[in-house]
This record gives sequence, C-alpha cells and structure tokens, in this order.
Amino acid sequence: MSVSTVEDQDESESAALLRVIVGGVYAIWLREVKRALRDRGQLFGGFSRPILWVIIMGVGLNPYFRGEVYGEVRFVVPYTYLQFIFPAVIALNILYTSVQAAVSVIWDREFGFLREVLVSPMPRPMILFAKVLGGATVAMFHGSMAILLSYFADVPISTGDILSGLGLMFLMAFGLTSLGVIIANRIRSFEGFGVFSNAVILPLYFTSSSVFPLDPALTAAQTRVVYPDWLVRVVELNPLTYAVDALRGNFIHFYQFDPRIGPLVLLAMAVGFFTIALIEFRRN
Amino acid sequence: MALEGTTSPMQAIGVEVAGLTKRYGSVLALDHVSFDVKAGELFALLGPNGAGKTTLLHILCTILSPDEGTARIAGADVVRNPLRARRRLGVVFQEPSLDDRLTLYENLEFHGLVYGVPAALRRQRIDEMLAVVELSEWRDRLVRTLSVGMKRRLEIARALVHDSRVLFLDEPTVGLDAQSRARIWRYLHQLRLQRQLTLIVTTHYIEEVEQADRVAVIDGGKLLALDSPGSLKLAHGHEVLEVTPLDGAVENELLEKFAMNIVRTQDGVMTIRVDGPDFVENFLARYGSRIRSMSRKEPSLESVFLSLTGRTIRDQGSTARDRTLAFGKQGGEHTR
Repeated sequence: MSVSTVEDQDESESAALLRVIVGGVYAIWLREVKRALRDRGQLFGGFSRPILWVIIMGVGLNPYFRGEVYGEVRFVVPYTYLQFIFPAVIALNILYTSVQAAVSVIWDREFGFLREVLVSPMPRPMILFAKVLGGATVAMFHGSMAILLSYFADVPISTGDILSGLGLMFLMAFGLTSLGVIIANRIRSFEGFGVFSNAVILPLYFTSSSVFPLDPALTAAQTRVVYPDWLVRVVELNPLTYAVDALRGNFIHFYQFDPRIGPLVLLAMAVGFFTIALIEFRRN
Repeated sequence: MALEGTTSPMQAIGVEVAGLTKRYGSVLALDHVSFDVKAGELFALLGPNGAGKTTLLHILCTILSPDEGTARIAGADVVRNPLRARRRLGVVFQEPSLDDRLTLYENLEFHGLVYGVPAALRRQRIDEMLAVVELSEWRDRLVRTLSVGMKRRLEIARALVHDSRVLFLDEPTVGLDAQSRARIWRYLHQLRLQRQLTLIVTTHYIEEVEQADRVAVIDGGKLLALDSPGSLKLAHGHEVLEVTPLDGAVENELLEKFAMNIVRTQDGVMTIRVDGPDFVENFLARYGSRIRSMSRKEPSLESVFLSLTGRTIRDQGSTARDRTLAFGKQGGEHTR
C-alpha cells in the first residue's frame, strides 16, 4: 500500500463524509417511514384513536360543555366541546406515534440493528437526528390523519391553518420523539408498549388541558374555585399544555395562554429534548 | 510465549493491534494484547466465553474504545479516525442485526446508503453480493421470512456492499446445521479470493479453526498463543486417551492415580493426557482388563486449547436481556 493512496483518500475525505451523511440520514429516515407504513396495527391505531375521541367522546360530551356558573364565576369557552378537544386529539395522535417511534429504539438496540448503524461511518449525532426525524415525520403523518376528522368536529380549516399547523405539529413530534428516546434509553427490560402508554402518554395528555379547559380569563384564585389546587399546578407545569394550546390557537383560534408561549415551548422542547438525547446517545 | 515474528514492511497489513487494554471496573478484560494480521489472511480468534474476544472485536469495530493501546484497520486508527476505519471494515455480528420488516434488497440498500456507496456502484454490488450468497431470487422478500442460515448469508453479503477490506465475523456459523456451515465457508473462501479480504473469525467449532492461516488463543484478556494451527498443535497439543472404565471402583482408582493428567470426565468418559513415551503401554498393562473401551486421539486444536486455558470451549448461560428478547420474538407489539 503506497503512501499516495492514503493521501488521495484524505483529499476526498470530506466528500465521502458528506455522501455518508446525506445518504445515511435519508436511509434511516426512509426506514422509519417504511416500517411505520408496513405496521398495520400502528396505522389502525392512528386512525381509530381520533375517531374514538372525536366521534364517541367528543360527540358524547358535547351537550354538557356549556358556560356554567360556579358561585360568582361564569365559566366561558366560546367553543363546542368537539371543537375544543379536536386540536388535542391531533396532539394525542402525535404523542402516541412519537413514543412508538422511540420504542423502536429499544428494539433496535435489543435486536442488534443499532449495531449495524453504530459500526457504519455515520457520525453519531446524525444517526440520532435521522432517527428522530423519521419518527417525527411518521408522528406528523398520524397527526394529519386526525385533521381529516375536522368536518365532524365542526372545525373549518383553511390551507393556511394546515400549513402552519403542520409546522407546529412537526416541532411537537420532534420534541416528543426525542423525549421518547430519552425515556427508552433508561429502559433495560421492556415487555410492552402498555407501560409507556400508562406511565407517560396518558398522564401527559390528561394534564395538558386537553380534555378540560383552564380558563386563563379567570384569575388564579377563581380557577382554583373550579379545580383543586394541585391539578391546576400540574397542568401549568406540563409543557404539553402550551403545545396543545398552540395547536388549539392554530386550528380553532382560541388561546388559553399568551399565543407566543406555545410555539416557544414547542421549540424549546424540540431543541432541549433532542440535546439531552444526543448527549446521552454519545455517552453510551 | 514466542509469537510469530512481525511481518516485513513490504507486506500489507490488514489489522495492527498494539498493547490493547480494556478494564471494566477492576476487571481486566484485555491485557496489553498485540498482534498483526496480514492483508488477505484468514485469522481465527479462539477463546472461551468471557476471554476478551468480544471486547477485542468491539474495539476493532470501533464501538468500544480501549483504555490503552492502538489498533488500525487497513491503516486507519480506530480511536483517532473511527469514521475512516469503519469504511474499511465489515462486521457480521453473532446476533442478527438485520431489519426484519424490510426486504433483503432494502436492507442492503440501507447499508450502501449509510456507508456512502455511490448509487451505480451500490446497485451493482447489491446484485453481485446477493448472487454470491445465492439469495438473488429472494431479494424482494421480507427478511422475517428467511431462515436463520439465510439471514446469516445475507449479513455476510451486506458487510461487503461497501469497500470493506477487513471482515470480522463473530461466530458466523453458530446455530447452523452442517450443510449451512459448509455453505457459509464456501462463500467466505470465494469472497476472500475475489476481494483480497482479510478475515477475522471467532468460532466455537474447532474444525473451522483448522482452516485458518493463523490462530490466536485468548483467555483472561491475554494473548496466550499465536501461530498456525499446525505449529500450535506441535507446540501445545497433547495426545490423549479417552477411557471408559468398567465400573465405579476403577473410575475412582483412575481419578486418584492420574489426578494430574485427567483433563476432564464427561458422560463416563475420562480424557487422560498422554505423558511420556511409555505411558500408553504402561496404562494398558495395568488397566487393560478393567476398562470397557479406550481410544487414542492425535493432538487436536481442542487439546491445544485445553492445555493453554485449562478449559473447554463451551457456551455460556443466558443473559439479562432474555425476557425482552423473548417478548419481541413472540411478536411483541410495534416491534419488528
């Protein structure tokens, strides 16, 4: 092996690295998407979940969601219950699918596919980025399936709403997939998705002001007349509350909080969770 | 232990390992291991479970970093330039690392993309490699429909879709029937000639080690011996007697008398190391009428292994991940 060969390779090193990164990110992303489209169970869930929430629960509770008077306080949300939970159902679909994508991290690890990628010339951060990107794409797609129900929820949606909504949904999916990866990294023995569903998804979802409003028009004291202290606290601390609020603002133009908070929280979640996931991924 | 002399500078080196050391806490998994593998060589790593083989392999594959020492794959340093080293090495892990839900072609395409193989070359390589391992007709089937042996063949094909010059195979034939094993070795020999590959193989099957150019025996993180199978047998091999005693009394007597020579007792058969020129004659004179059977075995690599490590090559028990794996294999949800 002459010395010149080695030098030639040095020259093309950056070109080769670029080809590896572009091809690799595409390959990992494509794998996630293909696997998701071939998983009938997941597709079915992505479709049936919003139907259950909107058409059964939403329609069922719709008549009971009215302005109510609690003592001196009049509780007003100028929307029907169906309209109110519709954006939250989009968020729920994204939440489920993101976490499912993260669960595939566990299987990749346990069944060895992760090694195939780890011994490849892909730089580690790019592996994780592509994986999260793929998971987020699928989650966004599942979120879009919920949008299809907008007619039943009586939510008129413009093209502009859909485009800005997709942007928010992508940020949300990216952040939640990263969060899922962080959790997956801590799981050593895994026996089912149910654990995730009960321990992560549903608590986050129910405390995100998704199925009941915390009316910000009320003072803190007034809100606490309606709800117990601790619940208000939990809802306010849950970052998903602001993510759901952003979606709600986008699709039904009703914000419970300052409209600037939602997108900021979504961005912070995406960047923050991905950074943590990345630090952990490099350490292992 | 005198190791074989270093290769001359003119000769291309496939893998260079110098002073590799790895500790897990207070356990020394690798203890200053050094050796060179010539380009194009078939090199076998032999050692019981926990000997440090896997640690060594993982360091060479750049998924583990050593505490001390260096290793180079076709000239690329695995610590300082892992990305370059990875482009030159192919790995077939013991446990399959294929994506079951993708087709054969998609698995290979994935590999080609991740290794940055240009499109035209990628397609050509994939077709070529599928043909070599005789899986061309299956290219659009999902991997989950393949047998274990076919998966192994696909993994070998995959490791060669990029320009790998050194191919690591961790137990490539474990769990396969004799026919599949022979087939895999046929492909490996063919590819070795076609691509001037350096092959580094770990295996439990002694007869597979026989065909290696050189064998490294590793135990307790140390390199115990490194030589051709023939020389190893000359230097460390022993002739052994496999004796079945007539009854328990004889067995006890033998156990007492040859305590130093008995290598193992398994299923009523005692393996006794032949010690000195008159050993067999004396043994027969004394016990000839009190044994059921006796056979005399030429020095084998197994006896080399026994005398170097004091252990037989055996499989280890299950791991902590078994529950998760079992769940997944039953078709755990949203998994494969």
